[in-house]
Amino acid sequence: MKKILVANRGEIAIRVMRTAKKMGIKTVAVFSEVDRNALHVKYADEAVCIGPAPSNQSYLRGDKIIEVAKSLNVDGIHPGYGFLSENAEFAELCEKNEVLFIGPKSHAIKVMGSKLAAKETVKSYNIPMVPGTEEAITDIPEAKKIANEIGFPILIKASAGGGGKGMRIVENATEFESQMDRAISEATNAFGDGSVFIEKYVGSPRHIEIQVMADMHGNYLHFFERECSVQRRHQKVVEEAPSAVLTPELREKMGQAAINVARSCDYIGAGTVEFLLDENLNFYFLEMNTRLQVEHPVSEWISGVDLVELQIKVARGEHLNIKQEDLKINGHAIELRVYAEDPMNDFLPSVGNLEVYQLPVGENIRVDNGFEEGMDIPIYYDPMLSKLITYGKTREEAIALMIKAIDNYHVKGVQTTLPFGRFVCEHDAFRSGNFDTHFVKKYYSPSLLEEQHKTEAEMAAKIALKQYLKDQQLLRLPN
Amino acid sequence: MDSKIKTLNDKIALAKLGGGKARIDKQHQKKKLTARERVMYLLDEGSFEEIGALVTHRTKEFGMANQKFYGDGVVTGYGTVNGRLVYVFAQDFTVFGGSLSETHAEKICKIMDMAVNVGAPVIGLNDSGGARIQEGVRSLGGYADIFYRNVQASGVIPQISAIMGPCAGGAVYSPAMTDFTLMVEDTSYMFVTGPNVVKTVTNEEVTSEELGGASVHSTKSGVAHKTSSNDVECLEDVKKLLSYLPQSNKEKPLEIPYELKDEVKTVLDDIVPDNPNKPYDMHEVITGIIDEKSFYEIHKDFAENIIVGFARLGGKSVGIVANQPMFLAGVLDVNSSTKAARFVRFCDCFNIPLLVLEDVPGFLPGTDQEWNAIITNGAKLLYAFSEATVPRVTVITRKAYGGAYDVMNSKHIGADMNFAWPNAEIAVMGAKGAAEIIFKREISTADDKDNKWKEKEAEYAELFANPYSAAERGFIDEVILPHNTRRKLIKAFAMLENKEVVKPQRKHGNIPL
Amino acid sequence: MYKLKVNKTYSFDLSEESIDKLDSVETTEGQFHILQNNTSVKATFTKSDFNKKCYTVNVNNNSYTVEINDALDQQIETLGFEIGASKQVNSIKAPMPGLILEVSVKEGQNVKEDDALLILEAMKMENIINSPRDGVIKSIAVNQGETVDKNSLLIEFE
Repeated sequence: MKKILVANRGEIAIRVMRTAKKMGIKTVAVFSEVDRNALHVKYADEAVCIGPAPSNQSYLRGDKIIEVAKSLNVDGIHPGYGFLSENAEFAELCEKNEVLFIGPKSHAIKVMGSKLAAKETVKSYNIPMVPGTEEAITDIPEAKKIANEIGFPILIKASAGGGGKGMRIVENATEFESQMDRAISEATNAFGDGSVFIEKYVGSPRHIEIQVMADMHGNYLHFFERECSVQRRHQKVVEEAPSAVLTPELREKMGQAAINVARSCDYIGAGTVEFLLDENLNFYFLEMNTRLQVEHPVSEWISGVDLVELQIKVARGEHLNIKQEDLKINGHAIELRVYAEDPMNDFLPSVGNLEVYQLPVGENIRVDNGFEEGMDIPIYYDPMLSKLITYGKTREEAIALMIKAIDNYHVKGVQTTLPFGRFVCEHDAFRSGNFDTHFVKKYYSPSLLEEQHKTEAEMAAKIALKQYLKDQQLLRLPN
Repeated sequence: MDSKIKTLNDKIALAKLGGGKARIDKQHQKKKLTARERVMYLLDEGSFEEIGALVTHRTKEFGMANQKFYGDGVVTGYGTVNGRLVYVFAQDFTVFGGSLSETHAEKICKIMDMAVNVGAPVIGLNDSGGARIQEGVRSLGGYADIFYRNVQASGVIPQISAIMGPCAGGAVYSPAMTDFTLMVEDTSYMFVTGPNVVKTVTNEEVTSEELGGASVHSTKSGVAHKTSSNDVECLEDVKKLLSYLPQSNKEKPLEIPYELKDEVKTVLDDIVPDNPNKPYDMHEVITGIIDEKSFYEIHKDFAENIIVGFARLGGKSVGIVANQPMFLAGVLDVNSSTKAARFVRFCDCFNIPLLVLEDVPGFLPGTDQEWNAIITNGAKLLYAFSEATVPRVTVITRKAYGGAYDVMNSKHIGADMNFAWPNAEIAVMGAKGAAEIIFKREISTADDKDNKWKEKEAEYAELFANPYSAAERGFIDEVILPHNTRRKLIKAFAMLENKEVVKPQRKHGNIPL
Repeated sequence: MYKLKVNKTYSFDLSEESIDKLDSVETTEGQFHILQNNTSVKATFTKSDFNKKCYTVNVNNNSYTVEINDALDQQIETLGFEIGASKQVNSIKAPMPGLILEVSVKEGQNVKEDDALLILEAMKMENIINSPRDGVIKSIAVNQGETVDKNSLLIEFE
């Protein structure tokens, strides 16, 4: 593999290219018209403009990307995350054009891409799943029967899509029908498909995922878990590895389950199996993400591997020369996703110019960054500025270092999730490990940050006035 | 020592109160700041050094001996404006209505003398009811002391007057002789004789505002160079004005650092319409030439057919004189000639180079003009330009007809560089009028008189309605493209920076007044 | 008593005495360590403009711009003085004597700043009179073909 094209942008493109360079592999970047000055373009050995700003005219144009790959004699394409990374057609297109797709085969992507197909595939491995319907349902009396079998509270979920649309929690039988009606009509409106699943609703759920890796020779490994329960709007903001609540036995069980899920679809490369953990530490399979995930760095740090390097090696056909028994958890890592969003305004994107943008540096601090000072935040893409990851020998150390790193991360010109990250790190529920996916809903309100701002503002006012009074005393002469 | 210090502090506190809290409140109710507040606002933080805070009057008549106020109705001293030294006096309306007494005048004279010796501008904030009648002729003498010093300082240091309240009777002569007079709308007025006396003598009924308010003096009489809507805006205007001027006639004006780029301004190509009878706003040409947002217009609403004001070219101050085709076609008349002449002479006093933008069809005809001495007044501008030894550059943007061509800083009267745009028409008069005269017989004997006239007009225009006749004779140094104007001007003024002209000894010329 | 505005959002009234009580130590140039109720706070000055009475301070990595208003500033605010407050124009008068060549608007019409209102011919030049502001035409006092004197009323705004 002499040359890799990274079909992505921002921090992940740079992160992948960094490993490629380490391995002596040449890198090709693709960019849209509005990304000409982006860091990933400057970092790559070669770069090609593939279209105007909107993603569907540039980064999602698999055909254009393959064209570029062929004309530059690219050996492999790394899709990063998002964009084309879980696009089975694109994986197929790569195969057809004899360009290596650094990821699983298209058939694995397809299978795991549908919640239904995924559940069907893993059945034979006895993977625990949230009790629920195996098929989508539209018939209400039938649904009610199943709901009663499962036991309330239950969750109604749209089959055709996610994002919370067509989702309804039903506490008891009496409100079941009306909720069902609403869920179906919402799903029909949002996705054109009113079919829904019924499953058991897990209260106080934690989102635990397992990092897996498989080579072309039937070797499967897991690199332990990640805890991703601090989410807002169903998107992760703070992730950590390992989880504060998993016991070694549970870890082993979940690890094996994850490996089996990967095995069930002949998986190749890096992937993540997502589970729900309830308060009794029962775990249920949710889905598999057939790509490298945003939060992979925390796993890298505690297991001491470079996951992108392994991805490339696996794609080249090499054997995974690591034994599962040899993998040990070493220390604790935490990641904060630094989004250009305003935590005081419902996390809506904050556009603007990075007048000041200085990263924290130091031992055990890693910033996977995609921007530099003076850049404008483009409105066309995901507003993630960087990932801030800290490591410590213990969870407490990692948290303490995260707070310090946040304090040294200077951003001016846009609002970011940095103050929110600080709030999380200082909150008892997080620090004690006693939290679930309702953390943000339960504990966070913008007025808390507002209070803090006001106190700081008053402090600033006082110190400024003091300085002003001092400056008044200086003797000043005409020019 | 402590008790002595306490005495001092008590006096200072008393001085700061001027006429007392009640009068201060009244001043505020009238939407005016007090003298001290104005001085504090004008000058840089903490830079004010007061001189003569404890001066009191010496009058004994009319029970004045029992009515003494520290400062005697005027706050005087020095400080900095944007780091540059200035002297300031601010009349305090809360003390005897700001009226002028012998000691009040002495305080003002003291700082004027210092200003001349040191070489720094004097800012006068006028807010006074006039002479202190109790002092009789001593007050008149005080005024004269100030007037005399105004003249001794004239052309030596910049003198700026801000009228921020009443200014009546003889008092008005001091601002009249200073370089610039700024007035605050609604709260200030200037006249020699007030409405009461006017009523008894001429039976005219008129208010103070109608007789001598800010709008009257900025539009009708031209006594005020600029008006503002309140005290704060007025003081900001003063500060801004100072930034274009030097400290004294021995210095060059303040230069602001400016990074030069290509300075090509394509916006200038589209301003002048092809049709010579269509006007355009000369302000747009000015904006296209000077540094961004650097234009400070003087006399904006008076004699609008000519524009004068300060601006910067590449960070350096220039004085601009420009005909305004949008008004009376940009002709020269009595008011515009005097407006421009005084401005030119001020720039000449203080080493400010002159930029002339010319588009003038001639002088305004009519009995009104002739009977009001357009002859003498037009000559003022001609004289002022000819006399000026600062660098002078002219750009002809369209018309330059007749005597007005000579007057508007032509090469013959000493302009350093004369430029013209390709559409310029430098001629004795417009083609239509000239054709009528030259080809009179041909036109009158023609079958189709109108067409013959048009034909002859075109013939004349071909020959003379262009800059080339003048360029061939070197009266125009270069015909330039509009978008290059700024480049050419910055280079020209830089080249002329060290210009020095030695004139024959004389006491002073005899400019027609 | 000083009035302080921070980031144009928060307002605080502080006296000189309350500042005297502030326990702060300058650690290095522009950096301060403050003890507030025994809590440790770090503040760094990023911008200081004494003349404009404006300072920018970083407290706990958040930037705050502080504007200091003393007694005079407060007095000016009470008096309602603003800089650049332009008087609203309600009537357009003829800037010079001339002939009305064309009236380009109608009574009741909505106009925007710089829209052409009418064309006045004077000195053989056609002068377009533009609207000085957005507004509604209340009345038009002249007709096409009329001659007007300087300062005659042409148009009135609502």
